[in-house]
Amino acid sequence: MSAQAEIHSGHDAHHDDHHHHEPGFVQKYIFSTDHKMIGIQYGLTAMIFLAIGFYLMMMMRWSIAYPHQPVPGWMDWMFTSNWKARWLSDGKITGETYNMFGAMHGTIMVFLGIVPLGFGAFGNYVTPLQIGAPDMAFPKLNMMSYWLYFLGGVVMLASFFMESGAAKSGWTNYSPLAGFADGQVVNQFLAGQTQWLIGLVLLISSSLLGSVNFITTIINLRARGMTWMRLPYFVWAMLVTGFLLLLAFPPLESAGIMQLMDRVAHSSFFLPSGLYTKTEGLADLSGGGSPLLYQHLFWFLGHPEVYVLLLPAIACVAEIIPANTRKPLWGYKSMVYSVLVLGFLSFIVWAHHMYLTGMGPLVSTWFQTTTVLISIPSVILITSLLISLWGGSIRFTIPMVWACAFIPMFGIGGLTGLPLAFNLVDMHLHDTYYVIGHFHYVVAPGILFGLFAGVYHWYPKITGRFMSNKLGHLHFWPSLICMNIIFFPMLLQGMAGFHRRWYNGGDAYLAKAADSTNVLAVSVTKHIDLNILMSMGAWTLALSQIPFFINLFTSWKIGRKVQSDNPWDATTLEWATPTPPGHGNFLTEPSVYRGPYEYSRPDCDEDFLPQWVEPKRKTGTETKPNETTPAAH
Amino acid sequence: MEIPYIVTPRKDTGLYNAKIAIWLFLASEVMLFGGFFSAYVFLRLGADYPWPERALPVLPGLINTFVLILSSVTVVFAWAALKMRQWRRFQVYMSITLVCAVIFMILKGMEYNVKFHHQAVRLKDFTVLEGHLGFEEENGTRVKDHNGHDIEENKIYVKASDLTFSTVRYHNAWVKDIIAQAEHEKSKITLSKDIKVITEPGKPAELIAKKGDALTPKLLSQIAKIHLKARAHNSDLKIAALKEEWKKAKKANPSASDVELSPNVNIDMDALAPLLEDEISAVTFNVVPAAKLQFNPRDIAEGATQSKLRDDTVINGELEPSPMVFHYVDAIDFQNLVMKAREKGIDPERAIENSWLIKNSPFAKEAWQWHLGEVAKLEQRLKDKYGVDKNNQPKRVPNDKERYRLGWKDFIEKNKVELSGFDKFKEEFLGPNYEKRGNATFMTFSLPREQVLHASKFTPAWNTYYALYFTITGLHGLHVIGGAIVLGYYLFCGRKMYLSNPEWLANRVEVGGLFWHFVDLVWIFVFPILYLM
Repeated sequence: MSAQAEIHSGHDAHHDDHHHHEPGFVQKYIFSTDHKMIGIQYGLTAMIFLAIGFYLMMMMRWSIAYPHQPVPGWMDWMFTSNWKARWLSDGKITGETYNMFGAMHGTIMVFLGIVPLGFGAFGNYVTPLQIGAPDMAFPKLNMMSYWLYFLGGVVMLASFFMESGAAKSGWTNYSPLAGFADGQVVNQFLAGQTQWLIGLVLLISSSLLGSVNFITTIINLRARGMTWMRLPYFVWAMLVTGFLLLLAFPPLESAGIMQLMDRVAHSSFFLPSGLYTKTEGLADLSGGGSPLLYQHLFWFLGHPEVYVLLLPAIACVAEIIPANTRKPLWGYKSMVYSVLVLGFLSFIVWAHHMYLTGMGPLVSTWFQTTTVLISIPSVILITSLLISLWGGSIRFTIPMVWACAFIPMFGIGGLTGLPLAFNLVDMHLHDTYYVIGHFHYVVAPGILFGLFAGVYHWYPKITGRFMSNKLGHLHFWPSLICMNIIFFPMLLQGMAGFHRRWYNGGDAYLAKAADSTNVLAVSVTKHIDLNILMSMGAWTLALSQIPFFINLFTSWKIGRKVQSDNPWDATTLEWATPTPPGHGNFLTEPSVYRGPYEYSRPDCDEDFLPQWVEPKRKTGTETKPNETTPAAH
Repeated sequence: MEIPYIVTPRKDTGLYNAKIAIWLFLASEVMLFGGFFSAYVFLRLGADYPWPERALPVLPGLINTFVLILSSVTVVFAWAALKMRQWRRFQVYMSITLVCAVIFMILKGMEYNVKFHHQAVRLKDFTVLEGHLGFEEENGTRVKDHNGHDIEENKIYVKASDLTFSTVRYHNAWVKDIIAQAEHEKSKITLSKDIKVITEPGKPAELIAKKGDALTPKLLSQIAKIHLKARAHNSDLKIAALKEEWKKAKKANPSASDVELSPNVNIDMDALAPLLEDEISAVTFNVVPAAKLQFNPRDIAEGATQSKLRDDTVINGELEPSPMVFHYVDAIDFQNLVMKAREKGIDPERAIENSWLIKNSPFAKEAWQWHLGEVAKLEQRLKDKYGVDKNNQPKRVPNDKERYRLGWKDFIEKNKVELSGFDKFKEEFLGPNYEKRGNATFMTFSLPREQVLHASKFTPAWNTYYALYFTITGLHGLHVIGGAIVLGYYLFCGRKMYLSNPEWLANRVEVGGLFWHFVDLVWIFVFPILYLM
């Protein structure tokens, strides 16, 4: 019996569901408890936030490329005249405004964009389907998690429209700078810097509820026969991501609460004695606090957060590559163990962000060692993905081209990180564009490409239609080229000594030190013209996202319909559901008979053998579900 | 659709969903409080002031510890009763648990309340005074301010003759307060000159308000609106003009870089001037006659003739004497001064003798002399008790706190007043009984403002120890309240579920109980680090 013969077309399935009580509009689309709808909500909201974060970046790139010219009309139309009068100086971006955009760009991209898209959207939609669960373990909690996230985002963005403006102290929000910023605002709850903290506490609560829900679901709601080593790699990655969020975020929450106390209750957790500011003189504070403490607590989250960003993207790619090479994922087990090791190690590398804080060479050495160690599991992951391509009959579908681009792009991002791990090299590169280039290679062309791949891959399951191939290519190629135009010069500029916080792209520096060269005998003068090229790249990148959004919204109605529930001929459980899956996901309770990536088995007629297809005869590796796990319920 | 394993455990994991979830949640809670506890270690090790040791009343904390332990036991009994399907017993034990939670919070509230009314101040030479501030009195009755409140003697007084408000930044509540104060002082706040501005380019200037108009929040907001409109209008014009200039410059000299061009690309303000509207970024009012206005020290940067509020309001006028008046000083603490003296290599005793307080307060001087005698006695006692080592040095000597701090217990030792047993018991909870012990025990003291380095109630603002104390116990208190609400929900609204699915309710109580144990456990850590160490 072929795999396709036993599955139902989406519309039949939907009709089957109709004898259940049909929820109203609000319950179905807004306060939905269905993990799939919540996943879609997360996805769309995150994309809006990503667009906003991107927009801020475009403004910043203008200030870097053309610091003396007013922001052009095609970019500043979004702001009211009043806002421009407050935050622009004759239309030019000021240092203060640039800082605000910079801080909020980072915050939005990390906390409101990528994490909700990777963990919130894909995790929510795909995880319960892949383990054969009817929903998350706590559907209402799941809904609450989304709405807390939404509220946190709204609170953060609202601060743009206040007199004080949004937070301006970098996405890391270091004290004492962040403790003082907006200190003149009488009602501290109307200060952008305070709202940033409140928004953050809401976001952390959201991800806490989410991670508890994910882990519980993965542990307890696996279908019959879904043993640990039969879990798709995606689920493993989500499990580890869940643990990272669960354990790494709370220390930042405590730091957030303490900084909030510093702001509204005038305590001095992170404010040392004798602080003197230009505007206020000697600060009226008890002092005795420690700015270093904030950095420790922040980076205790900050580093695992990198893997929270990364793992969902790798997870998507790890699902897409086997389905499109028609061969099993190479080294599935080593990838699973690697991701577990990676998760653990990510908790003990945080202070490599702090080599220059004066915490001492002994501490630096320890963190340098662990940082170099963590590259081992990362390289195992990326190598396994690469080797998975070897000898496959690759179908270059749209998700696959994104997935293929992910590997080298993430590779560049990862490898450029190695020099930064060594504290001696870091002394030179710290706070330069090299760092910016490094982590943007990881996040933008790396992680974001992985997530785009995921969108194209699961879109047919979500909507029952494919996304357009032509528009897909029109999205992919310009994106790939532009990403490299933006980020590769950053590495060069960084080595030449471009500081990451120059709001005028190095102009002011040049005016004073045009002839100076650094230890590598390169100068800022040589590389300053790259600014314009990079900015052009950034704006073209914005244009190349237009095909994607057209594709995303029109294919919903006019895309090519899927011919079966398993359009990619994939093996994991989400393709066993009707298309799109109804409330409760599976028509009959699924059973699992084998590992997740059984492609091109020699003993099988077709080139894939899904997890849910009952074996014709009993073999050594395929066991009936009730022999390994007891019946559900 | 039904989610499996809500009530019965899954066989291979042996757990129902909520049980996994609560353990995960508690793991994250451990990390949350872990963050605070590491902050405690970090801040205590790095403190640049004498860390307050045993600064809190131990008795209420100790009682609270046992109250929480008791409630942790009863919550288990409540769960067991549910397992045995004994609803009445469940009700009894759960009620005891909740009563314990309430007792805990009441004691905590009393502890907080005392601190919120207890003042501390660090002088410029790092002497620390603690005590209760007085209220302004006239003929034995308390003076009321413009809001009808007692006036605590910790205000900055300015004889204001004129006020300049920033139109974009002024804080409305403060404006209202200033108006009320002036009214109370029988002064009028009036506009210093006509506001006549161009609100539409090309038309003659329009009179917005006349000289002598009274200050009202409405007037200010009207001016602010005009200002914001003009600012936006002008900015739009200037942006358009600058863009035009750049276009021209680029056309004239296409090969030149921005840096080369920029010095010569300027807006022609003369050409633009007729098109602009008038901006009113600040507006000045006269106070007639000059009135004595009061401000909280935190809100004002005071100067001899000009002061500035945090919302950029500039106040012109003489600064009046604004001392901090302690009605009762209940502690004089030289530990911080001694610490600073030692850093500079100065003899501590000498530094104390030369401190501003000893020189300016006969009471303090006398108390210090008395205290030196007490320390000598203590030294002798320790020597008698523990003996001397081979170098003939005493094995134990008084510590810095004993040597350099006169706490309220020292003062009541110095000047003994007969108190009833109940009053003495109360003092263990709430601190000294000022009324009964009087000013013979606790001196009255007026502290000139210029001697103040940092002043605060015993709130998070006083030092990092109290910041930690309030944040950790406050968060713990919120956990107690949250846990009590959940357990209370099971008690008062659980009957229906008990009748339909008692096992499910038992699971819920088990999960709630696990959380309750965690809350108890946190307290077990909090109590020693904050109260005993």
